[in-house]
Amino acid sequence: MPSAGAETKPAVASAMTPGPTPSFAALARRWYRLNQAGLRAAVIGAISLAAFLVVWHLLTTYRVVFFVRFVNVPTPLAVYASFTKAMHDPKFLMHLLLSCRRIFIGFSLAAIVGVPLGLIMGRFKLVHEAVFPVAEVLRPIPAIAWVPMAIMLWPTNEQSIVFITFLGSFFPILVNTLHGMSLVDPVLVRAAQCLGARERSIFREVYFPASLPHIFTGLTVGMGVAWVSLIAAEMISGQYGIGYFTWEAYSLVQYADIALGMIAIGVLGLASSLLIRAAGRLVMPWRPK
Amino acid sequence: MNEVRTKPPLGRIEVSNFSLSYESIDGAVQAVTDTRIHVDPGEFVSIVGPSGCGKSTLLNAVAGFLKPTTGVVTVDGEPVNGPSAERGMVFQQYSLFPWKTVRENVEFGLKMRGMPRSQRERAARTLLGLAGLEAFEKHYPERLSGGMKQRVGIVRALATGPKVLLLDEPFGALDAQTRVIMQQILTNMWQRLKISVLFVTHDIDEAIFLSDRVYCMTARPGSIKAEIPIPLDARGSSR
Ligand SMILES: Nc1ncnc2c1ncn2[C@@H]1O[C@H](COP(=O)(O)OP(=O)(O)O)[C@@H](O)[C@H]1O
Ligand SMILES: [Mg+2]
Repeated sequence: MPSAGAETKPAVASAMTPGPTPSFAALARRWYRLNQAGLRAAVIGAISLAAFLVVWHLLTTYRVVFFVRFVNVPTPLAVYASFTKAMHDPKFLMHLLLSCRRIFIGFSLAAIVGVPLGLIMGRFKLVHEAVFPVAEVLRPIPAIAWVPMAIMLWPTNEQSIVFITFLGSFFPILVNTLHGMSLVDPVLVRAAQCLGARERSIFREVYFPASLPHIFTGLTVGMGVAWVSLIAAEMISGQYGIGYFTWEAYSLVQYADIALGMIAIGVLGLASSLLIRAAGRLVMPWRPK
Repeated sequence: MNEVRTKPPLGRIEVSNFSLSYESIDGAVQAVTDTRIHVDPGEFVSIVGPSGCGKSTLLNAVAGFLKPTTGVVTVDGEPVNGPSAERGMVFQQYSLFPWKTVRENVEFGLKMRGMPRSQRERAARTLLGLAGLEAFEKHYPERLSGGMKQRVGIVRALATGPKVLLLDEPFGALDAQTRVIMQQILTNMWQRLKISVLFVTHDIDEAIFLSDRVYCMTARPGSIKAEIPIPLDARGSSR
């Protein structure tokens, strides 16, 4: 976009060299002014992360014991060393891949079942009355408590772990979708009705988009709980998976790998919730960021 | 707007022996009682009354959202049962779909009718142009001012070429200046379309400015107290 300043310049000059008319410094200054808040947050964030690393380094290098014992905790450099080693270790990559696959399958199933079920429960009272009590009874049971039952229910270990991941994310998704449905503005439904919309169109054009923000809240929360449940299940019953890797590192006295596993879990969890947020922006362009 | 409308400009509303009571925990609340009103084809009629006197109740029954406890509501002799695109409605709370752009909002009624996309896009653009909104067609409602939202609301209600237009305190939430502009716009549209209008307001000046005829309502229980024809020279549309 040409700036207002460019238009006041003589026409000849701008016709000859359209590029550098608003000086680079001026553009940079304007860009800085517009993004000041974001830049500030980025700089402070970087400083705080750096400070965390420095404190970690000092506590572990000097093996501080002050109620908490840092004697066996690996230094950041030791963790970095085991990270570079793990990057070339196909076994570590397989742990990561398997965990991601379990999350993908368990979470997708939860979304595919939870969202439509929530929409239908929100629209049809009978379904709500029939399903809601069962959901309320099962919901407070933490996914980890399902581990023994899941092992009995499913023929393979892999399936029981995916099942636990599914359970963890299913209830937040269902409950938030239901909540979204209950908040749909009845005036919008009326507006649609007197524009000629029938039941099916009202569902598609009003109830569904109106609930989307809450559905995405449910997906975000559900993704978090999916990781919690997955790691717990992998630690208890797994073979493979990043949760198993972390637990195994402890048994094998590979202390650097414990921290590596934890960081990997954190990064994957962050990445997956960023993915969901990006999908939400894509699906709901009308929402302010 | 003639290319959009397909039906002949009829639209006679008749409400007779009308009463409506809401069921509540302490028994029935008589919201409106013993009311008869009518709107002739092409006429602009207002209902004025204090807050809580039953104006919305009456209008919602004409729209088909509420069933009368006694009496009947007819449009061109057909009893009203349930909302339909024949009766366009504009709400005080704007009620635009936040997830649709201005143009998609206007297109909605045509889409429900099954009009192909390119055709309804063209129709919506024409209507938005007439309302001076063409520059905003791609905006989401959240970014519009109250006055513009309500302009879109009116255009959306008119897009399907309804026989009658029902408005429930449409300008109640607007500032005085915007309100005057909106009244002018509504008058212009009404004169162009020759559609029957039933307009609810608590503002007597607004009613006189806009209407051919005004019904005054009283509360507890709501009923028509007076029917006042407005002489042409008292009205905004004659200026
Ligand atoms: N859903 C309802 N249930 C019970 N009473 C209602 C309901 N809606 C409106 N009323 C009562 O009916 C009366 C008329 O309401 P309304 O038609 O909204 O008045 P107005 O639009 O003139 O302000 C009021 O006393 C109101 O309290
Ligand atoms: Mg009202």
